[in-house]
Amino acid sequence: MSEQSVQEVALRVALERAIARKSDEYDRRAREYAAQLTRTKLDKTQVRGLETLAITTDKVSDIIDWLKLRVGRDSGRERWAKEGIGRDLVNELEWLREDARKIVEDARKIVDELRGGEHTAFAQTVDPDLERQVHLRLCREFLKHLTAHFEYLKAERER
Amino acid sequence: MSDLEYWLKRRQKIAAWSDRWQAEAARFADSHRDLLPKRITNTQLYSLGNVVRSARRYADIERFIRRQAEKAERTGRLDVQGYWNDLKDALGKLHDEAQALLKTLLSPRTSGREDLDMLHRELARLYVQHLIAHSLYWTPVKEESEQ
Repeated sequence: MSEQSVQEVALRVALERAIARKSDEYDRRAREYAAQLTRTKLDKTQVRGLETLAITTDKVSDIIDWLKLRVGRDSGRERWAKEGIGRDLVNELEWLREDARKIVEDARKIVDELRGGEHTAFAQTVDPDLERQVHLRLCREFLKHLTAHFEYLKAERER
Repeated sequence: MSDLEYWLKRRQKIAAWSDRWQAEAARFADSHRDLLPKRITNTQLYSLGNVVRSARRYADIERFIRRQAEKAERTGRLDVQGYWNDLKDALGKLHDEAQALLKTLLSPRTSGREDLDMLHRELARLYVQHLIAHSLYWTPVKEESEQ
């Protein structure tokens, strides 16, 4: 395996670990949002719709636009616009960009350390789109927890 | 570059562009917020969305916007005319964006005029998607029916 391949694998492993760690951190916050969502008129299909979109799209902006539209269309303020839940969620997902930036920065450092502390050409040529892709992954993780908690809490309520 | 590689790369570039330009489209919506939703209605925005999604050439989008501007001018709604003219300029500028994006794909097929027009339409569609979402976000449907 070439030296560059080793670095690429190291970068991927570092990213996967960091994303998994962040995902665990998001669990509690996602549960709080889910609890708030159960007090709206939203049903499982609508919340699952958001998760499905997050899994299938390749753009963070699609997720944000989807939420913004639902907030805008909720004239009765009983669903996504109730008590600002949709707006808070939009902000929350946008803030995950900062986590993505930090994750990519740390992963690059790990690769640099592999090279004995040198700031390598490889580290500099890491895909410039990487931060955005990690941001998308973090949004998916957050929404995965949100949907799971929502369905669980909703079922508990209806029992 | 194989066909699959080309289309995957193109898709990724467009996705990155869309995420980058969401803020720009939101800024456009914010700078015309006083016209929403009474002067520029949600129905007009949805019509724009439909035209952008179904257009076969970029000229079709431009024609729709020009017609909206002319209609506003005839009825003396100069602020509304200004909105459509500003939007025509904003979407027109995406031609350069499409050209720059095609250049980065470094493929012989990117030289075609049709390909450039297709990409220009795609970027316009994404810009308008962001614009509509952000416009409705700050001017919920309720306000429109109340006024």
